[in-house]
Amino acid sequence: MKKNSLKVMAMSVGLGLALAACGSASAPSTSTDDPATATGSLRVMIPTYPLSNEGKAEFQKVVDDFNKTYPKMTIEPDFVTYDTMNEKISTSIASGSGYDVLVTGIGWIQPFAAKKVFKDLADVGISKADISTKTADAMVPAVTHDEKVYGYPLIADARAVAFRKSAFIEAGLDPEKPPASMAELKEAAEKLTKRDASGAITRPGFDFWAASGAYRQTFTTFLASTGTPLFVDGKPNFNNADGVETLEWMKGMINNVQTFGQMNSAKKPLVYTNEAPIGMVGGAVDCSDQGIGQANCDDLSFFLLDNGTKAEFVGGDIASIGAKTKNAKAAWTFIESLIKPEANNAQAKLNSKIPATKDTAKTGQAQSNPLSKFVAANLSHAAYEGGASNWLEVRKSFNSGLDEALLGKRPAEEVLSSLAALSK
Amino acid sequence: MTPASAAESPIVAPAGPQKPTAANRRGGRPKRRSVTRKQVWAGWLLLTPALLHSTLFISVPTLAAVFLSMTDYSFSGEWAWVGFDNFIELMSDQNFKTAFVNTVLYAIVVVPISMGLALVIALGLNQKLRGMAFFRTAFYIPTVTATVAVATVWLWIYNPGAGLANGALSFFGFGPQPFLNSPDTALPSLMLVGIWQGLGAKMIIYLAALQGVSRELVEAAELDGANRWQTFKHVKWPALAPAQFFVLITSIVGTFQVYDLVYVMTRGGPGISTNVLVLDIYNNAFQGMRLGYASAETVIMILLISVFIIVGRKLQGSDKSE
Repeated sequence: MKKNSLKVMAMSVGLGLALAACGSASAPSTSTDDPATATGSLRVMIPTYPLSNEGKAEFQKVVDDFNKTYPKMTIEPDFVTYDTMNEKISTSIASGSGYDVLVTGIGWIQPFAAKKVFKDLADVGISKADISTKTADAMVPAVTHDEKVYGYPLIADARAVAFRKSAFIEAGLDPEKPPASMAELKEAAEKLTKRDASGAITRPGFDFWAASGAYRQTFTTFLASTGTPLFVDGKPNFNNADGVETLEWMKGMINNVQTFGQMNSAKKPLVYTNEAPIGMVGGAVDCSDQGIGQANCDDLSFFLLDNGTKAEFVGGDIASIGAKTKNAKAAWTFIESLIKPEANNAQAKLNSKIPATKDTAKTGQAQSNPLSKFVAANLSHAAYEGGASNWLEVRKSFNSGLDEALLGKRPAEEVLSSLAALSK
Repeated sequence: MTPASAAESPIVAPAGPQKPTAANRRGGRPKRRSVTRKQVWAGWLLLTPALLHSTLFISVPTLAAVFLSMTDYSFSGEWAWVGFDNFIELMSDQNFKTAFVNTVLYAIVVVPISMGLALVIALGLNQKLRGMAFFRTAFYIPTVTATVAVATVWLWIYNPGAGLANGALSFFGFGPQPFLNSPDTALPSLMLVGIWQGLGAKMIIYLAALQGVSRELVEAAELDGANRWQTFKHVKWPALAPAQFFVLITSIVGTFQVYDLVYVMTRGGPGISTNVLVLDIYNNAFQGMRLGYASAETVIMILLISVFIIVGRKLQGSDKSE
């Protein structure tokens, strides 16, 4: 009986392994050198197009444009979000069915280039000079690693600080002279904070527009406004006096002018809806009746933080080619379709961002609303996060570490030192 | 042995000497034994899907996790054998240490409280009262509701500015609480949701077990003059032992695997105050792209769950001996 049992078990395991082997086989992607006759499919991972009808329609336009060159090739899109992006990339690598085109964000390029997930764009004839000529200068360092280019910037997620002119007038502040330095901002925010009889904040004086675990980008912006970028040549540059001073200043604002992690249910900047008089905002505002309305828009004005250096936080979407693609030329052709002005402008509009082109200030999206116009005009002051080859690992520690410092659980200096020690 | 029980247990060949059958007398192999062998084969055949499943989705991944835990694999295609380095690094990793403590705390608080509450509710619902079906459904709804939906609703309830919880507290004269926005209150707030969400599943198992308690035994106890507490203690409680064991084990495993609730509600924050093991494993594997390191964490979690289950079994064993 024992012998029989072993036989059955051996058969079961054998069958199981056979099934597993079948399951791991990936679909072949074939091609030829001639675009007109090339066949197969191109796997594209992209967070830029939302899964709405509008998003799908805009993406289809890009596919149609690509098919003019590669009529027999199909596109297999994977519409991801930034939250699920790393899972998608890692599992695709592990399963051996990597993407041909990957659209990621600023901060992703260096780690994935170091892991050899992205292809050097020199392989498809794109140099650093090409990128510098055609895209915003601010985006160039974000797509390079070891002097090689691994991505092509699509759209920029530029952010500014907005304030309500009416709130300034009401509080006796001059709307023509908005605060710029951290000291001025704190003074104005404290003056504009409203409290109830018990002292609880009923209207924050400044909106960080950050939930718990999401103060990293604000810290990057404030730090950059002191003339101190987060990383220099891939090395941590925040564990210094400027870093500590910036974090201590933020700590002084938390639960003083805004409760920690406060956001509205729509997770939109509070300043748009007059829930806060000053606050961080994204790269575009919809002034139509479907958005915040013209009256709200007219009450808004924008400025950049300036503690010696103007700083505008910039994230963005960057297109790269998978290192293991067998269709590098087709992949690059698809990226060329993505960066055509019409497609680029549509991407920016869909994501409340601006095109990452050299002439972004002249694009339709930048001209369509006052906030995009402002951030496009100031793109030269870009500050961005990332730079370390293990940034994706450090990033999560950054989120929790900053929270601990802001809530007084750990000293700012200790947090920044430990984060610097983690950064490679 | 009653005729019914004899009919229910034909798979195992009866021990001891067999009566001679017609087949025996003809010199062939005993027919009964032949039938039993076929039944054994049938048993294995029926077990095959489960065995396949266990092999493919439990044994192979477990062995793979153990193997990966000794490597520095990070999805890049290149990896090296690092022995126990990942485990050594984990011992000084503050995120892991906090996740470990939080997970154990979560299990220690949520498992007994939710089991106790579920039993009380099951006892209450095991009555013949009007509208009982409604209450049974109401208590079970959180269990069948997607955790993401539950977490989203509780996020609104816990919103420090406009949430229902602070509204209710202010009605009774209490000041606003930060709930998920403070490292001091975030984990207890999550525990409360965990207890609430897990009640239904436990309650339904207890309810089924209570309805299986022999009516004759209960009546006998009542005839002997036992009050409700004594009837519960000496008749119902012992009868609930198998259900208790099942609920205990599934609760321990469930609480150690808490992830979706934390992911949606706090992402481990503020700081790392609500970091739990599965979230930390996820973060290391898919955010930090360190699969080898995350596998080492997984191995430790498997060992931890095993320890808790062994302790649970021991406790269950001592209950039985009583």
